[in-house]
Amino acid sequence: MFMAALILMVSTGLFFFYIQAVCQKILRRQFSQEFFQSIVNANRLEFPSVRKAIEDLGAPVEYPRLLLTLKCDYLALTYLLKNAANVNQRYSYEERLLIVYFKVVFAGLVMCHWLKLRETPTALKLTLILEYFANVVGERVNTVRFGNLTASDYLLSL
Amino acid sequence: MPFKGDQLLLYGVQYATYALEVWVCVSLASSGRWRRLKGLGLYVASLILLDGVARPAISNFFGRESLQFYYFYWITDVVFALGAFLVICGFFRRACAQEDKMWKFVRLLLIFVFLVVLGVSTLSLTRHYTHLYDHFIIEFSQTLYFTCLVLNTLLYVMLQQLAIDDDELGLLVCGIGVQFAGEAACLALMHLTADNAMARVLIEFLAPGCTLAMLWIWVYAIGKTPQTVSSRQYQPGKNKGLVEAVAD
Repeated sequence: MFMAALILMVSTGLFFFYIQAVCQKILRRQFSQEFFQSIVNANRLEFPSVRKAIEDLGAPVEYPRLLLTLKCDYLALTYLLKNAANVNQRYSYEERLLIVYFKVVFAGLVMCHWLKLRETPTALKLTLILEYFANVVGERVNTVRFGNLTASDYLLSL
Repeated sequence: MPFKGDQLLLYGVQYATYALEVWVCVSLASSGRWRRLKGLGLYVASLILLDGVARPAISNFFGRESLQFYYFYWITDVVFALGAFLVICGFFRRACAQEDKMWKFVRLLLIFVFLVVLGVSTLSLTRHYTHLYDHFIIEFSQTLYFTCLVLNTLLYVMLQQLAIDDDELGLLVCGIGVQFAGEAACLALMHLTADNAMARVLIEFLAPGCTLAMLWIWVYAIGKTPQTVSSRQYQPGKNKGLVEAVAD
């Protein structure tokens, strides 16, 4: 009985650990260039400045602003993921997984604040996910072709 | 007789699992990766044959509630556990490809671990001789799955410690970890809540759900291993304005 309970606890913990590891592996994907910069500039996204503040000062901007910034960037990027140069107009499976991961980490950030723990590693993780989303959008817009049309031809034909 | 909602969902998960198993095999064959991943290919092929073909055939022939199906189900479960153990051994071999000394040590460790599992299960057999299938088979599967989970976690830690830059292997290990962790948790839950109907329903969904998750991660690992985007696809300068236009 005791062994079964122990196995249940350890297995459940490892299950979530591996899911997190898969998300981290997906986020490690290397892009041929920093596609996210154009998307950040065009949409005035703020997550790079949040990351810079964390890296330079070792602490994020004040908590309410941090939450709002990350939430707004997340909403903008998930909208772009679904609609910008996306033929199917839906998220891929890995994007869905990362969206769930973002929500869980975001909840973790709120928990860290309530429990008065360090928020910076969690905030950095969130900016990493947002950077991945921005890179995917940027890459998709740069590379997508609709049949024989380039992305610009396609947009002109709408 | 009309299907209930949960039955329909269960069938959906089952058929999605079969489809992904076939997809993994086809991806391995078409991409030529089966040469490097023979063990994995054989394991998935056995999943298709035993879980996708033989189990439904036995179920149709003898009935889902029959003793024959019950025996066959648990025996094939042991076969899957053994197959998974061999797949883990293959992953260890690949991780130690550059380290011959380490592989010699790991090989001995794997043999020792297998003998320990066999010994523990044989001890259990002498205690539960009268309930061979009720207790021994389930306990053997549970012990072997949990051992595989521990070994897989050791392998994951080893990959991190040795800084082996093999994203495909990393994702394959994570995939099998999800399956083992889920399966070990299901079996432990079954052990703890012997006749609880709610737990039984949960286990019915969890076990195929974990297999589905593992296969999805493997499909991603085989088909879309994180890699650099081809530079041929990108034309510098040409689409810069377009990025901003579309993003706006």
